Amino acid sequence: MPMGRYLLGRVAESVLVFFVILTVFFFLFRLAPGDPVSRLVDPGMTPEEAALLTAQLGLDQPAGKQYLIFIANFFRGHFGVSFHYGRPVAEIIARRLPNTILLFTSAVLISALAGIRLGKIAAWRKGGRLDTWMTIGALVCHTLFLPWVALLLIWLLSFQVGWFPITGMISPELWIVGDVTWLEKGLDILHHLALPLMTLFLIHFGSYLLIMRGSMLETLNEDYIFTARAKGLPERVIRERHAAPNAALPVVTGVALSLAFSINGGALTETVFSWPGIGRELVFAVSNNDYPLAMGCFLLISAVVLAANIVVDLLYALLDPRIRYG
Amino acid sequence: MADNPGHPIRGLRLLLILAMALTIAGPAGCRRTDGEQPVRIGLAEPPRTLNIWLASDANSNKVLSQIYQPLYAMDPETLEPVPWLAAAMPRHDPVDNTYTVVLRPARWSDGTPLTATDVAFTGHLIQSFNIPRYAAKWAPVAEIEVPDPQTVVFRLKRPCANFIDGALATPVVPAHRWAAAAEAARRSEKPLAALLNHPVTDPVGCGPFMLAGYERDTYLHLRRNPHFFASGHTIAGLSLGPHIDGLLFKVYGTSDVAVLALKKGDIDMFWWSIQPGYLQDLERMPAIEVIASRRSALYFMGFNLRRPPFNDLALRRAVAVLIDKAFIVERILQGQGAPMTAVVPAGNRTWHNSAVSSPGAGLSRPQRIRAAHRILHDAGYRWQVPPVDDGGRIQAPTPVLLPDGMPMDRITILTPPADYDPHRAMSGMMIQEWLADVGIPATARPMSFSALLATVKSRHDFDAFILGYGRLPLDPDYLRTFFHSANAGPGGWNMSGYRNPRFDRLADRSQREGDPQQRRRIVFQMQAILGEDLPYIPLYTPLLIEAVRTDRFQGWVPMLEGIGNRWSFCRLRSVRADGDRGGA
Repeated sequence: MPMGRYLLGRVAESVLVFFVILTVFFFLFRLAPGDPVSRLVDPGMTPEEAALLTAQLGLDQPAGKQYLIFIANFFRGHFGVSFHYGRPVAEIIARRLPNTILLFTSAVLISALAGIRLGKIAAWRKGGRLDTWMTIGALVCHTLFLPWVALLLIWLLSFQVGWFPITGMISPELWIVGDVTWLEKGLDILHHLALPLMTLFLIHFGSYLLIMRGSMLETLNEDYIFTARAKGLPERVIRERHAAPNAALPVVTGVALSLAFSINGGALTETVFSWPGIGRELVFAVSNNDYPLAMGCFLLISAVVLAANIVVDLLYALLDPRIRYG
Repeated sequence: MADNPGHPIRGLRLLLILAMALTIAGPAGCRRTDGEQPVRIGLAEPPRTLNIWLASDANSNKVLSQIYQPLYAMDPETLEPVPWLAAAMPRHDPVDNTYTVVLRPARWSDGTPLTATDVAFTGHLIQSFNIPRYAAKWAPVAEIEVPDPQTVVFRLKRPCANFIDGALATPVVPAHRWAAAAEAARRSEKPLAALLNHPVTDPVGCGPFMLAGYERDTYLHLRRNPHFFASGHTIAGLSLGPHIDGLLFKVYGTSDVAVLALKKGDIDMFWWSIQPGYLQDLERMPAIEVIASRRSALYFMGFNLRRPPFNDLALRRAVAVLIDKAFIVERILQGQGAPMTAVVPAGNRTWHNSAVSSPGAGLSRPQRIRAAHRILHDAGYRWQVPPVDDGGRIQAPTPVLLPDGMPMDRITILTPPADYDPHRAMSGMMIQEWLADVGIPATARPMSFSALLATVKSRHDFDAFILGYGRLPLDPDYLRTFFHSANAGPGGWNMSGYRNPRFDRLADRSQREGDPQQRRRIVFQMQAILGEDLPYIPLYTPLLIEAVRTDRFQGWVPMLEGIGNRWSFCRLRSVRADGDRGGA
């Protein structure tokens, strides 16, 4: 069972890395300048009262003891309580994670599908007018500044034309009405999703296109492509059955990791579009020294990225029969 | 490669269908109600909590201030306390040092009667748990008695001048909703943390509005409270409603987007300060009114008086002369503010000492350099090449030498980063340049707000800093908090480490003084002393610029700190409903 042994090894390795990350983050937050209590008190509060609050938040203990308490709670499934929300971190993340997945994971998937498709076409027509325009377009989109594009699209398509709502995830005016059906609510969310999705697509699809195009061009020079052509196979078969699957290998890595990182959300996108996701929460937690919430967000991202790495390795074996683990 | 892999657009049919579906989804999903028409308010951040004791962020407090109410509120015109939940001003017995408060007949939003027991419960809760932000206000209270359901008597340990503005301006919570939570918290290992983390999903208050819905961190809906005690009453000369169905708070992540939403009519008000860059555009729109309000805010440069070089008063005076506050207001704030002279803002008419002047006010740049040079020279500072030559001409100086002949080490001016507050960051850079005019080597260094606060408040490892208090209370007791020597230790709010026994005595007297006129004289003296000793140099008070739509609702009440106040929300009327045009 070389594959099973390999998988077990990779999982054990990832668990170890996860705890290294957990430890580094834990101490990094406490070493960073800033006092979480200072954001919760006002000038009327005496130092003694501030000290009481510090003790109540468990921040009066030595960092080592805080770490041991955190680890013990972690294994019991308690990830702490946010200083500012006063709610368990898991509850806050669980409320925001679906929003992030809906927007960012969809954006990565759509961008990747379009990028791979267009990259394949561009490579196949290398040097042609279509290839030139697609490459230039991809480069331009890839280098666009996200908040600028987002604001431009909001101004044009929401404010001027009125096709889409001005940011947010839902229309509160609709949701406060008692007799609204789930279908109507779903359509409302989709309508709000359009503009941020469009923005993320514009920014991201170019990189997938360029990676796919480059990889495809390399593959098209391989001996087995010449062999296929010498055998008289139709061009479509050569492209779709022989070239594209091999060219897609590096793209798969990129897409899988992007999917993993997509749960990180994006603070800029979420801020401009007022999208209630993980990214904005992470920035808020870090800038306000909300240690438990920041730890929760970072650990979630770390766990998903580590898991994605294992999945990518397994996918490689599936996509390329030459790769064997053991 | 003759084979055609397909036209790219044809290959992306699925994507196009998806885009069309998302566009079409809008009209289907955007069915609007013709019934309830709440005032729609844009917020910059979602409220973090509905637990009044935890709420430390501005947006939670904006929402909760519509639900929980205090005994006394601030008159929008005079800025003096007026009876709100209380029926009249408290009866003060100076012999027993008691305050007797009689309540108006009132009910909680769930219909339960509001009694003096609730007021006493609130006070006991704050004191027993030492709740941050409120405990200090209640510290002078020794006993709370409830002689009858409408009367509550507070016995104080010592005279307290700001008892009405402090403890009696605390929001009252219902005992029947909080008693069980408090009891459970007391039994826990960490009582205060347990109380602060108590989940509140359905807050019950006695204010003009009550919670109707809160969804996915994207909106919060308040509906008119049918039991609101002041409905139909006239308080502070204003007849009160509320006359609107409710308030709908919506979150907009950036000012750009919120301003677009306001222009498009998606919101009726953006409850946040509008940047000067948007003003021209907004003022051109007939359906939008821009309202500028004074603020009770202090933005200042503070010094570390615990160590050289700013333990030298002459150096602080020279710096004060060099700072051109009018320039900061005109160029950095783009005219949306006023230079400050005394530490108490000018908008606080009762307590501001207008006799305190700003060093160097009205001087030109060369005159400032000459004045600063004279102050420093008289104090023993020297230069190889002075900033002013023998003929009185300004020249580029060499670095200043301290009175002991040693060169001055480069000083650091800590500021918040530009993304947190561009005005303060930019002011720091300008001051750095102005100090260089007399050879004071200075560097403005932006750092994260939390780190800055920890450095100046706890570690005391700094030379100078620029900070601000965006919303100071009207009672000037904060002068004692900021400058009394008892608060100069680590974690204390006397960040400069200022120590002046005369000031301390006055500060202690001001806290005890019951006669308002006498207290005013003391507070004026305190401001004058600070103007002489300069532990802080007050820089500016920004104006609060707000914008509202006038085509749906009117009746905003302007006051210090803007139109987002309880008076406005109790006065607003729908334009369509009755054509009322009162208010702002």
